[in-house]
Amino acid sequence: MARIAKGDDEAFEILVNRHQTSVLNLIYRFIGDRTQAKDLAQEVFLRIWQSAKGYEPKAKFTTWIYRIATNLCLNELKSARHRRWVPFQRSDKESENPVEETFSDGSPTAEDLLLARERSRQVSDALKNLPTNQRMALILKRYDDLSYEEIAQILGCSVPAVESLLVRAKRTLQEKLKSFQK
Amino acid sequence: MTAGFRVCSCLMYYRPIIFGMRHTMKCHHIQRKLSAYQDKELKPREHEEVSRHLLNCHSCREQYEKLERVWQTLGGIQEIRPDPWFYRQLVRKIKEPRERGLLPTIERFFQPLRTPAIASFLLAIGILSGTYLGNILVRRDFFPFQPTQPTYSQEDLFDSLKAFDPAPPGTLAHGYLRIMNYEEREPR
Repeated sequence: MARIAKGDDEAFEILVNRHQTSVLNLIYRFIGDRTQAKDLAQEVFLRIWQSAKGYEPKAKFTTWIYRIATNLCLNELKSARHRRWVPFQRSDKESENPVEETFSDGSPTAEDLLLARERSRQVSDALKNLPTNQRMALILKRYDDLSYEEIAQILGCSVPAVESLLVRAKRTLQEKLKSFQK
Repeated sequence: MTAGFRVCSCLMYYRPIIFGMRHTMKCHHIQRKLSAYQDKELKPREHEEVSRHLLNCHSCREQYEKLERVWQTLGGIQEIRPDPWFYRQLVRKIKEPRERGLLPTIERFFQPLRTPAIASFLLAIGILSGTYLGNILVRRDFFPFQPTQPTYSQEDLFDSLKAFDPAPPGTLAHGYLRIMNYEEREPR
């Protein structure tokens, strides 16, 4: 960050390459729209560039990045609600272009691809219906494997509050995703 | 002796209830900790306690397995990759500071008002131009061939009142009456 503060482009590129996937996916899982997620991810790095000079390492660097991303997501959701939008929808462009999607099993068949997409859609829908704080806490725990303390720092709440958010989120998802558990 | 026997028999009688309650209470206590246990956020002693309980309690183990299945299902959400030009786009955004700042914010704020503003503007222009053209067209001297106002004499006015007669002049009935009057005045 010290190098970035001095205007070192190379250091900034390394930082972007290191964190872009995690930031992009965090936003995508929260917002649910690919195009919007890409725009917001760029906004996150833009803010990092702009605030590099005033950066003081109080917590882990990833916690700081995730905090910026979380705040942007929450603001976006608020403004989307203000515009009476339904942001958590897959765009047409997204469903037309499955090339970028990755699967854990390497080379999927057409059936696998369809099943995976359907499963992803249902999981996304279940996540979408969670309250914002529960959703973000769950995403940070499940996909980024952050500790309760880190999540608490990102969401600006206490550790017991994070624990409670996660218990409620898991209970709700248990109900919503019953069909997957048979 | 008799009292001791009574206490013993009482304990024997209520033993399943007392132990069952203790068991349920423990399960309730453990199930509240399952989420934190799954997230490996319990203290080592508590973690050990829950692990030991899960080995012996079928109901709690089932609960934990359900939680695990939900956790695995969440892994089914697809991941996206950033575009290869992500960094280049970002650099372009950084190097175009003029586009960022107060002006785009104002523009974004007024964007929803743009269409109604244009519609109102066009409507206002329509009303103003309509009023202006209307004023010009109703002016008398605008048409050079303005028809002259007809003048009516008192005789014409009386004639026009005859239109309300039972047999107004010019009608077949009037003609018939005239012929009859003529024949009556000059008999053959």
